[in-house]
Amino acid sequence: MSSKATPKQRALVIGLILFGILFTIFFGMRAIHAFKKFDGHRPPPSGKVETDVELIRDWMTIPFISRMYRVPEKNLFDAIGVPPFSNHDKSLKDINQDYYPNADGYVLDMVKATILAHQPTPMPDSAPSAVPPLTAPAAP
Amino acid sequence: MSEFLLTQIINYGAPLLGIIVFTGGLGIPLPCTLLVIAAGAFARQGILPWHTTALVSIISVVAGDSISYSLGRYSRELVLQRFSETPRWLQAEQSFQKWGPLSIFFSRFLVTAIALPVNLLSGTTRFPFKKFLVYDLSGEVVWIFGYGGLGYWFGSEWELVNEFISNFGGLVLGVVIFGFGIRQAWNWQKRNKAKSYNNAEA
Repeated sequence: MSSKATPKQRALVIGLILFGILFTIFFGMRAIHAFKKFDGHRPPPSGKVETDVELIRDWMTIPFISRMYRVPEKNLFDAIGVPPFSNHDKSLKDINQDYYPNADGYVLDMVKATILAHQPTPMPDSAPSAVPPLTAPAAP
Repeated sequence: MSEFLLTQIINYGAPLLGIIVFTGGLGIPLPCTLLVIAAGAFARQGILPWHTTALVSIISVVAGDSISYSLGRYSRELVLQRFSETPRWLQAEQSFQKWGPLSIFFSRFLVTAIALPVNLLSGTTRFPFKKFLVYDLSGEVVWIFGYGGLGYWFGSEWELVNEFISNFGGLVLGVVIFGFGIRQAWNWQKRNKAKSYNNAEA
Protein backbone atom coordinates (compact mmCIF):
# COMPACT_ATOMS: atom_id res chain seq x y z
CA MET A 1 0.00 0.00 0.00
CA SER A 2 1.46 3.40 -0.94
CA SER A 3 2.20 5.68 1.99
CA LYS A 4 0.83 8.76 0.22
CA ALA A 5 -2.96 8.91 0.05
CA THR A 6 -4.52 9.94 -3.24
CA PRO A 7 -6.92 12.94 -3.15
CA LYS A 8 -9.79 10.48 -3.69
CA GLN A 9 -8.77 8.37 -0.69
CA ARG A 10 -8.27 11.52 1.39
CA ALA A 11 -11.77 12.73 0.48
CA LEU A 12 -13.20 9.31 1.32
CA VAL A 13 -11.61 9.26 4.77
CA ILE A 14 -12.66 12.85 5.53
CA GLY A 15 -16.17 11.92 4.36
CA LEU A 16 -16.17 8.88 6.65
CA ILE A 17 -15.05 10.93 9.65
CA LEU A 18 -17.68 13.63 9.00
CA PHE A 19 -20.39 11.05 8.33
CA GLY A 20 -19.41 9.22 11.51
CA ILE A 21 -19.62 12.43 13.56
CA LEU A 22 -23.03 13.34 12.11
CA PHE A 23 -24.35 9.81 12.62
CA THR A 24 -23.06 9.74 16.21
CA ILE A 25 -24.59 13.11 17.08
CA PHE A 26 -27.94 12.37 15.41
CA PHE A 27 -28.43 8.89 16.87
CA GLY A 28 -26.76 9.87 20.15
CA MET A 29 -29.38 12.58 20.75
CA ARG A 30 -32.19 10.23 19.79
CA ALA A 31 -30.78 7.44 21.97
CA ILE A 32 -30.55 9.79 24.99
CA HIS A 33 -34.13 10.94 24.39
CA ALA A 34 -35.33 7.32 24.04
CA PHE A 35 -33.37 6.26 27.12
CA LYS A 36 -35.07 8.95 29.23
CA LYS A 37 -38.47 7.60 28.21
CA PHE A 38 -37.33 4.01 28.62
CA ASP A 39 -35.68 4.68 31.98
CA GLY A 40 -38.82 6.27 33.43
CA HIS A 41 -40.84 3.11 32.80
CA ARG A 42 -40.76 -0.01 34.86
CA PRO A 43 -41.80 -3.37 33.42
CA PRO A 44 -45.40 -4.23 34.32
CA PRO A 45 -45.73 -6.87 37.05
CA SER A 46 -46.05 -10.42 35.78
CA GLY A 47 -49.61 -11.65 35.28
CA LYS A 48 -51.06 -8.12 35.28
CA VAL A 49 -53.99 -7.66 32.89
CA GLU A 50 -53.30 -4.76 30.54
CA THR A 51 -55.61 -1.79 31.08
CA ASP A 52 -53.91 1.06 29.18
CA VAL A 53 -55.86 1.38 25.93
CA GLU A 54 -53.27 3.80 24.53
CA LEU A 55 -51.08 0.76 23.86
CA ILE A 56 -53.52 -0.53 21.22
CA ARG A 57 -52.14 -0.16 17.69
CA ASP A 58 -53.93 -0.55 14.38
CA TRP A 59 -51.69 -3.47 13.32
CA MET A 60 -53.17 -5.58 16.14
CA THR A 61 -55.88 -8.16 15.48
CA ILE A 62 -59.07 -8.59 17.49
CA PRO A 63 -58.05 -11.99 18.99
CA PHE A 64 -54.71 -10.48 20.05
CA ILE A 65 -56.38 -7.50 21.74
CA SER A 66 -58.95 -9.79 23.31
CA ARG A 67 -56.16 -11.82 24.88
CA MET A 68 -54.11 -8.80 25.91
CA TYR A 69 -57.00 -7.03 27.70
CA ARG A 70 -58.98 -10.17 28.61
CA VAL A 71 -62.09 -8.90 26.86
CA PRO A 72 -64.15 -11.53 24.94
CA GLU A 73 -63.59 -11.43 21.18
CA LYS A 74 -67.35 -11.49 20.62
CA ASN A 75 -67.78 -8.22 22.52
CA LEU A 76 -65.15 -6.54 20.37
CA PHE A 77 -66.54 -7.85 17.07
CA ASP A 78 -70.07 -6.88 18.15
CA ALA A 79 -68.89 -3.39 19.10
CA ILE A 80 -67.35 -2.73 15.69
CA GLY A 81 -70.30 -4.36 13.91
CA VAL A 82 -68.18 -6.83 11.96
CA PRO A 83 -68.64 -10.63 11.72
CA PRO A 84 -65.80 -12.64 13.34
CA PHE A 85 -65.70 -15.04 10.42
CA SER A 86 -62.92 -14.09 7.94
CA ASN A 87 -61.90 -11.10 10.08
CA HIS A 88 -60.02 -13.06 12.72
CA ASP A 89 -56.57 -12.52 11.29
CA LYS A 90 -57.12 -9.01 9.95
CA SER A 91 -55.53 -5.99 11.57
CA LEU A 92 -57.76 -3.19 12.89
CA LYS A 93 -56.48 -1.07 10.00
CA ASP A 94 -57.57 -3.65 7.41
CA ILE A 95 -60.99 -4.10 9.06
CA ASN A 96 -61.41 -0.33 9.04
CA GLN A 97 -60.50 -0.14 5.34
CA ASP A 98 -62.84 -3.01 4.45
CA TYR A 99 -65.91 -1.96 6.45
CA TYR A 100 -65.56 1.75 7.21
CA PRO A 101 -63.43 3.25 4.43
CA ASN A 102 -64.84 6.72 5.04
CA ALA A 103 -64.33 6.74 8.81
CA ASP A 104 -60.60 6.77 9.42
CA GLY A 105 -59.62 5.30 12.80
CA TYR A 106 -63.18 4.36 13.71
CA VAL A 107 -62.44 0.70 14.48
CA LEU A 108 -59.44 1.58 16.66
CA ASP A 109 -61.43 4.13 18.65
CA MET A 110 -64.38 1.77 18.99
CA VAL A 111 -62.17 -1.04 20.28
CA LYS A 112 -60.60 1.34 22.83
CA ALA A 113 -64.02 2.49 23.99
CA THR A 114 -65.28 -1.10 24.31
CA ILE A 115 -62.27 -2.13 26.39
CA LEU A 116 -62.68 0.89 28.66
CA ALA A 117 -66.36 0.06 29.10
CA HIS A 118 -65.42 -3.52 29.94
CA GLN A 119 -62.99 -2.51 32.67
CA PRO A 120 -64.06 -2.28 36.32
CA THR A 121 -65.45 1.13 37.35
CA PRO A 122 -62.53 3.43 38.18
CA MET A 123 -62.04 4.77 41.69
CA PRO A 124 -63.45 8.31 42.28
CA ASP A 125 -59.99 9.94 42.37
CA SER A 126 -58.73 8.41 39.09
CA ALA A 127 -58.48 10.43 35.87
CA PRO A 128 -61.49 10.54 33.52
CA SER A 129 -61.39 8.55 30.27
CA ALA A 130 -59.71 10.25 27.32
CA VAL A 131 -61.79 8.43 24.72
CA PRO A 132 -64.95 10.34 23.77
CA PRO A 133 -68.23 8.51 23.23
CA LEU A 134 -68.65 7.36 19.65
CA THR A 135 -71.48 7.17 17.22
CA ALA A 136 -71.19 4.42 14.62
CA PRO A 137 -70.98 5.47 10.98
CA ALA A 138 -73.11 3.46 8.62
CA ALA A 139 -71.32 0.39 7.28
CA PRO A 140 -71.46 0.05 3.48
CA MET B 1 -43.80 -3.08 6.36
CA SER B 2 -43.10 -3.50 10.10
CA GLU B 3 -46.81 -3.25 10.92
CA PHE B 4 -47.73 -5.83 8.29
CA LEU B 5 -45.09 -8.24 9.62
CA LEU B 6 -46.21 -7.70 13.23
CA THR B 7 -49.80 -8.62 12.28
CA GLN B 8 -48.58 -11.73 10.46
CA ILE B 9 -46.41 -12.82 13.40
CA ILE B 10 -49.48 -12.61 15.64
CA ASN B 11 -51.28 -14.85 13.14
CA TYR B 12 -48.58 -17.33 12.13
CA GLY B 13 -46.22 -17.26 15.12
CA ALA B 14 -42.74 -18.74 15.42
CA PRO B 15 -42.51 -20.35 11.92
CA LEU B 16 -43.03 -16.97 10.26
CA LEU B 17 -40.54 -15.29 12.59
CA GLY B 18 -38.08 -18.03 11.64
CA ILE B 19 -38.58 -17.32 7.92
CA ILE B 20 -38.15 -13.59 8.47
CA VAL B 21 -34.92 -13.85 10.48
CA PHE B 22 -33.60 -16.42 7.96
CA THR B 23 -34.27 -13.92 5.16
CA GLY B 24 -32.63 -11.20 7.27
CA GLY B 25 -29.59 -13.46 7.68
CA LEU B 26 -29.35 -13.63 3.88
CA GLY B 27 -29.05 -9.86 3.84
CA ILE B 28 -32.58 -8.81 2.83
CA PRO B 29 -33.24 -5.63 4.84
CA LEU B 30 -36.12 -6.49 7.19
CA PRO B 31 -36.89 -5.01 10.64
CA CYS B 32 -35.67 -8.19 12.36
CA THR B 33 -34.58 -6.59 15.65
CA LEU B 34 -37.98 -4.93 16.06
CA LEU B 35 -39.70 -8.26 15.42
CA VAL B 36 -37.48 -10.11 17.90
CA ILE B 37 -38.27 -7.54 20.63
CA ALA B 38 -41.98 -7.74 19.76
CA ALA B 39 -41.85 -11.56 19.78
CA GLY B 40 -40.49 -11.38 23.34
CA ALA B 41 -43.47 -9.23 24.32
CA PHE B 42 -45.87 -11.59 22.53
CA ALA B 43 -44.35 -14.50 24.45
CA ARG B 44 -45.09 -12.71 27.72
CA GLN B 45 -48.67 -12.15 26.59
CA GLY B 46 -49.00 -15.87 25.89
CA ILE B 47 -49.30 -15.43 22.11
CA LEU B 48 -46.02 -17.22 21.31
CA PRO B 49 -44.28 -20.03 23.22
CA TRP B 50 -40.91 -18.45 24.17
CA HIS B 51 -38.79 -21.63 24.02
CA THR B 52 -39.97 -22.73 20.55
CA THR B 53 -39.81 -19.18 19.23
CA ALA B 54 -36.25 -18.68 20.52
CA LEU B 55 -35.07 -22.05 19.18
CA VAL B 56 -36.66 -21.63 15.75
CA SER B 57 -35.29 -18.08 15.46
CA ILE B 58 -31.74 -19.04 16.42
CA ILE B 59 -31.63 -22.01 14.02
CA SER B 60 -33.13 -19.94 11.18
CA VAL B 61 -30.89 -16.92 11.55
CA VAL B 62 -27.74 -19.05 11.84
CA ALA B 63 -28.83 -20.93 8.68
CA GLY B 64 -29.29 -17.59 6.86
CA ASP B 65 -25.88 -16.36 8.05
CA SER B 66 -24.23 -19.60 6.96
CA ILE B 67 -25.68 -19.26 3.46
CA SER B 68 -24.39 -15.70 3.15
CA TYR B 69 -20.99 -16.96 4.41
CA SER B 70 -21.09 -19.60 1.65
CA LEU B 71 -21.93 -16.93 -0.94
CA GLY B 72 -18.76 -15.12 0.11
CA ARG B 73 -16.74 -18.33 0.04
CA TYR B 74 -17.89 -19.36 -3.44
CA SER B 75 -17.47 -15.87 -4.87
CA ARG B 76 -13.85 -15.79 -3.71
CA GLU B 77 -12.60 -16.53 -7.23
CA LEU B 78 -14.51 -13.54 -8.60
CA VAL B 79 -13.04 -11.28 -5.91
CA LEU B 80 -9.55 -12.60 -6.53
CA GLN B 81 -9.94 -11.94 -10.27
CA ARG B 82 -10.47 -8.30 -9.35
CA PHE B 83 -7.82 -7.98 -6.64
CA SER B 84 -5.60 -10.96 -7.61
CA GLU B 85 -3.92 -11.34 -4.24
CA THR B 86 -2.64 -7.75 -4.14
CA PRO B 87 -0.81 -6.65 -0.95
CA ARG B 88 -3.96 -4.76 -0.01
CA TRP B 89 -6.07 -7.90 -0.31
CA LEU B 90 -3.57 -9.96 1.68
CA GLN B 91 -3.56 -7.26 4.35
CA ALA B 92 -7.38 -7.33 4.46
CA GLU B 93 -7.31 -11.12 4.81
CA GLN B 94 -4.75 -10.95 7.60
CA SER B 95 -6.69 -8.20 9.34
CA PHE B 96 -9.91 -10.22 9.14
CA GLN B 97 -8.27 -13.30 10.65
CA LYS B 98 -7.34 -11.05 13.60
CA TRP B 99 -10.50 -8.96 13.98
CA GLY B 100 -12.99 -11.40 12.40
CA PRO B 101 -14.21 -13.07 15.63
CA LEU B 102 -15.05 -9.73 17.25
CA SER B 103 -16.67 -8.38 14.07
CA ILE B 104 -18.78 -11.51 13.67
CA PHE B 105 -19.89 -11.55 17.30
CA PHE B 106 -20.76 -7.85 17.68
CA SER B 107 -22.34 -7.44 14.24
CA ARG B 108 -24.99 -10.01 15.23
CA PHE B 109 -26.61 -7.73 17.78
CA LEU B 110 -24.80 -4.41 18.21
CA VAL B 111 -24.04 -3.16 14.68
CA THR B 112 -26.47 -5.29 12.69
CA ALA B 113 -26.12 -3.04 9.63
CA ILE B 114 -22.69 -4.56 8.92
CA ALA B 115 -23.72 -8.19 9.50
CA LEU B 116 -24.05 -9.06 5.80
CA PRO B 117 -20.69 -7.54 4.72
CA VAL B 118 -19.06 -9.36 7.66
CA ASN B 119 -20.62 -12.70 6.59
CA LEU B 120 -19.50 -12.23 2.98
CA LEU B 121 -16.02 -11.14 4.04
CA SER B 122 -15.74 -14.13 6.37
CA GLY B 123 -16.42 -16.45 3.44
CA THR B 124 -14.26 -14.58 0.94
CA THR B 125 -11.24 -14.43 3.25
CA ARG B 126 -11.65 -18.16 4.04
CA PHE B 127 -12.26 -17.52 7.72
CA PRO B 128 -12.70 -21.07 9.14
CA PHE B 129 -16.37 -22.03 8.98
CA LYS B 130 -16.42 -23.80 12.36
CA LYS B 131 -14.97 -20.71 14.01
CA PHE B 132 -17.48 -18.53 12.12
CA LEU B 133 -20.29 -20.75 13.35
CA VAL B 134 -19.19 -20.50 16.99
CA TYR B 135 -19.02 -16.67 16.97
CA ASP B 136 -22.15 -16.37 14.84
CA LEU B 137 -24.15 -18.63 17.13
CA SER B 138 -22.90 -16.82 20.26
CA GLY B 139 -23.84 -13.43 18.80
CA GLU B 140 -27.26 -14.63 17.66
CA VAL B 141 -27.99 -16.15 21.06
CA VAL B 142 -27.24 -12.75 22.64
CA TRP B 143 -29.47 -11.10 20.01
CA ILE B 144 -32.44 -13.43 20.50
CA PHE B 145 -32.26 -13.85 24.27
CA GLY B 146 -31.03 -10.31 25.00
CA TYR B 147 -33.45 -8.36 22.82
CA GLY B 148 -36.25 -10.90 23.00
CA GLY B 149 -35.72 -10.98 26.77
CA LEU B 150 -36.06 -7.20 26.99
CA GLY B 151 -39.28 -7.44 24.98
CA TYR B 152 -40.49 -10.18 27.33
CA TRP B 153 -39.57 -8.14 30.39
CA PHE B 154 -41.26 -4.95 29.19
CA GLY B 155 -44.32 -6.76 27.79
CA SER B 156 -46.83 -4.43 26.18
CA GLU B 157 -44.39 -1.50 26.51
CA TRP B 158 -41.85 -3.15 24.18
CA GLU B 159 -41.96 -0.19 21.75
CA LEU B 160 -39.92 1.87 24.24
CA VAL B 161 -37.22 -0.80 24.21
CA ASN B 162 -37.22 -0.88 20.41
CA GLU B 163 -36.93 2.91 20.13
CA PHE B 164 -33.89 2.93 22.41
CA ILE B 165 -32.17 -0.06 20.81
CA SER B 166 -32.62 1.13 17.22
CA ASN B 167 -31.14 4.55 18.06
CA PHE B 168 -28.36 3.02 20.12
CA GLY B 169 -27.47 0.78 17.14
CA GLY B 170 -27.23 3.90 14.95
CA LEU B 171 -25.01 5.56 17.56
CA VAL B 172 -22.64 2.56 17.66
CA LEU B 173 -22.54 2.47 13.85
CA GLY B 174 -21.61 6.19 13.84
CA VAL B 175 -18.79 5.57 16.33
CA VAL B 176 -17.52 2.61 14.24
CA ILE B 177 -17.48 4.69 11.02
CA PHE B 178 -15.77 7.59 12.81
CA GLY B 179 -13.22 5.25 14.41
CA PHE B 180 -12.48 3.60 11.06
CA GLY B 181 -11.88 6.99 9.42
CA ILE B 182 -9.62 8.17 12.25
CA ARG B 183 -7.64 4.92 12.19
CA GLN B 184 -7.08 5.24 8.44
CA ALA B 185 -5.95 8.87 8.79
CA TRP B 186 -3.66 7.91 11.69
CA ASN B 187 -2.06 5.09 9.65
CA TRP B 188 -1.32 7.47 6.76
CA GLN B 189 0.23 9.98 9.08
CA LYS B 190 2.38 7.29 10.71
CA ARG B 191 3.56 6.03 7.33
CA ASN B 192 4.33 9.57 6.13
CA LYS B 193 6.36 10.23 9.28
CA ALA B 194 8.31 7.00 8.84
CA LYS B 195 8.94 7.83 5.20
CA SER B 196 10.21 11.34 5.91
CA TYR B 197 12.41 9.96 8.73
CA ASN B 198 13.90 7.38 6.33
CA ASN B 199 14.49 10.09 3.71
CA ALA B 200 16.22 12.32 6.28
CA GLU B 201 18.47 9.42 7.35
CA ALA B 202 19.37 8.61 3.77
